Amino acid sequence: MSLTLLTGSEAAAYGAMLARIEVLAYYPITPAFPAMERMNKFIEDGEMNTRFIRAEGDHSALAAALGASLAGSRTFTVTNSQGLLYMTEVAYHTAGLRQPVVMAVANRALSAPHSRFPEQGDAISQDASGWIQLFCENNQEVLDTILQAFKVGETCRLPVMVNYEGYIQSHTQEEVDVPQLAKVDAFLPFTRVSALDINNPQGINTVTSPDLYMDYKYHQNDAMSQALEVINNVAAEFSRDFGRDWSGVIEGYRMDDADHALVTMGSTVSDGRIVIDALRAEGKKAGLVKIRSFRPFPAAAMRAMLKKVQYVTVIDKNIVFGSGGALGNETKAALYGHLSIPVKNYICGLGGRDFRPDELKQVMALSEERAKQTTEYEWFGL
Amino acid sequence: MAKKLPIVPSAKAGSMAEAPSGIIWREQHPVIGDKCNQCLECIMFCPEGALKLENGKVAVSLELCNGCGTCAFECPQKAITMVLEFSGDRGIFPLKEGKS
Amino acid sequence: MRKGGELVKMTLKDLPQQDLFGPGNAGCRGCGAAIAGRQAMKVLGARTIITMPASCMATLSGLNQKTAWSIPFYHTLFEIAPAVSSGIRASLEAQGIKDVNVVSWAGDAGTADIGFQSLSGAAERNDNIIHVCYDNEMYMNTGGQSGSQTPIYAMTSNQQKGKRTGKKDMLKIMVAHDVGYVASATISHPLDLAEKFKKAAAHDGFSYIHIMAPCYRGWNIPTDQSVATARKAVESGFWELYEVVDGKKTRTHEPSFIPVSEYLMSQGRFKNLSTEQVKEIQDAVNSHFGRKEAK
Repeated sequence: MSLTLLTGSEAAAYGAMLARIEVLAYYPITPAFPAMERMNKFIEDGEMNTRFIRAEGDHSALAAALGASLAGSRTFTVTNSQGLLYMTEVAYHTAGLRQPVVMAVANRALSAPHSRFPEQGDAISQDASGWIQLFCENNQEVLDTILQAFKVGETCRLPVMVNYEGYIQSHTQEEVDVPQLAKVDAFLPFTRVSALDINNPQGINTVTSPDLYMDYKYHQNDAMSQALEVINNVAAEFSRDFGRDWSGVIEGYRMDDADHALVTMGSTVSDGRIVIDALRAEGKKAGLVKIRSFRPFPAAAMRAMLKKVQYVTVIDKNIVFGSGGALGNETKAALYGHLSIPVKNYICGLGGRDFRPDELKQVMALSEERAKQTTEYEWFGL
Repeated sequence: MAKKLPIVPSAKAGSMAEAPSGIIWREQHPVIGDKCNQCLECIMFCPEGALKLENGKVAVSLELCNGCGTCAFECPQKAITMVLEFSGDRGIFPLKEGKS
Repeated sequence: MRKGGELVKMTLKDLPQQDLFGPGNAGCRGCGAAIAGRQAMKVLGARTIITMPASCMATLSGLNQKTAWSIPFYHTLFEIAPAVSSGIRASLEAQGIKDVNVVSWAGDAGTADIGFQSLSGAAERNDNIIHVCYDNEMYMNTGGQSGSQTPIYAMTSNQQKGKRTGKKDMLKIMVAHDVGYVASATISHPLDLAEKFKKAAAHDGFSYIHIMAPCYRGWNIPTDQSVATARKAVESGFWELYEVVDGKKTRTHEPSFIPVSEYLMSQGRFKNLSTEQVKEIQDAVNSHFGRKEAK
């Protein structure tokens, strides 16, 4: 194993390179662009045998990736925030056409007001799009998850979004083990599936009547449900081949005897581990639930993990206006009717507002104090 | 129980010819007369591909024709006549032999 | 085409009988777009992949598990036909497949209006695709509203007193993209159209063909008049047939210059035009062709 210092952007680029993508399409945006430029360097240096489509906008970038995927290529794109919103129409369309395009998203806040800073609101805007949404806590996980994403997507015939936070991850170097290409080839073989096949013509996406539309949607959702198991299996296989275990859809950290669970996703997870260790050192029975797959949402696995806890604190780096944090809402929905535990949902770190481990610790204490209060969600750090 | 469907929403190539829709609301159809010299112009101008050269003669597929009349209007020989499908004030379609 | 080393004009008998698009399509009577599709496919052939955004043509092309295309056909989102075609071409290159035409075929909205960005992008990148605009000069799939390709004074469902501005010249815009092949065509001149598709297919790089495709409903003409109306547009000089190869423009058909009123007044959408308005349009045609007055 040889460790290299890589930013999250570079880790994403290495992931795409090792996956031997055939077609790359993107439109530059901050903070995703260094991942893009790194891939172009790989192509120019001959380290990547990839056709690059210099799209004139994010909407067309995903459209071009979709076209290449329909013609049978493994394809990849990168974006965030406004770019992701602009792609939204094509994102839903890609999922409906069951194309396993993989997209890295360097999560950034949405305008207005204009912000260039980290937040997960952009990914949450796509929660009904039909994309598998995986969240990474560090740069190693970014690289490893992109490799897994292709395998998961191609198995389920669904597109996959790999999320890491802008700047906090995209622009921060960490030690990353870059796997050997031969090992990746063995883990991630490629079988070409061409919906647009010149030798086997068919019409794609014809006008569909009420007779069939609902059935297509049933199958699409069914594939999404089955993805829970596929994500777990692929993570286990990856762990066997590369010795790194990312636990599939959900991970419990020090949850065995925990009475207070911190639930979160993305970079807050790595801070969460520090906080949980600190609380344990103080003799408190705290544990962490890391949501790695936000879509599909691992509701049953979460219930199993929270069965014995007394307090649940959910940290959301997003706000669903008039409703609360997206992960808070999912957690409450998963527990409702099964477990009667107070779930405290905190909205933190929006638009790059600093949210440090000591503040996370404060939130945990606050959550226990206010466990009996019936507020749906609270803001922290205003 | 959801219907069994292809993973990618898709249709079999060329399959619309098996169940053409135009015939349902056709009011008239072309009849090709003796003056036809097989210049092929009508074939080029048919939106439905209903006209074909068969055994050296231009033939109409009434399964496909929706009765626009373009072939008759464009025919340089004036060899095509449009014939009404219906009779009477309600417009009754003649039943074809062997088909209801 | 060449026969025995000599250049001879293609005849209708040289075009294949087989239809790769058309039979059973759900188009209206006399659909100009369907006629254009049939004519073009005679030349493009079976080694063609077609992408088509939201439009009448995409709607009439298939329903549920049936389609009127015998080649790979993909009904795309409204704005993205050229972009998905770029992606398809990139994938074919990656697979080493070289003998396939990749065509994005859009209406006037999917080309000149909502689809303009992706068209401009693919053209500027000079991606090896053919973009076809079949132009019925209004948004017919939603009932006939005005768009940028609607000509001045034409009545539409949302401008019932007539459009106040003229038609955006897409051919000039595409020539300004410095692409290798740009041509106008129409359904009344199928051999001219066929020659242009042959050249576009042979051109290694981006090609653009703009087909005037009359629509009986939107233009308020009898169902047997689509081809005849297109011919009047050409012969009056209202729709010029030409091609621009590497920036050099050649007219491919010399009009006989029938009065433009013969074209305009045969259509219900122009029935409210005043004598002055007809004259204004005639003057514009005359000036375009460098003529003093109409015959």
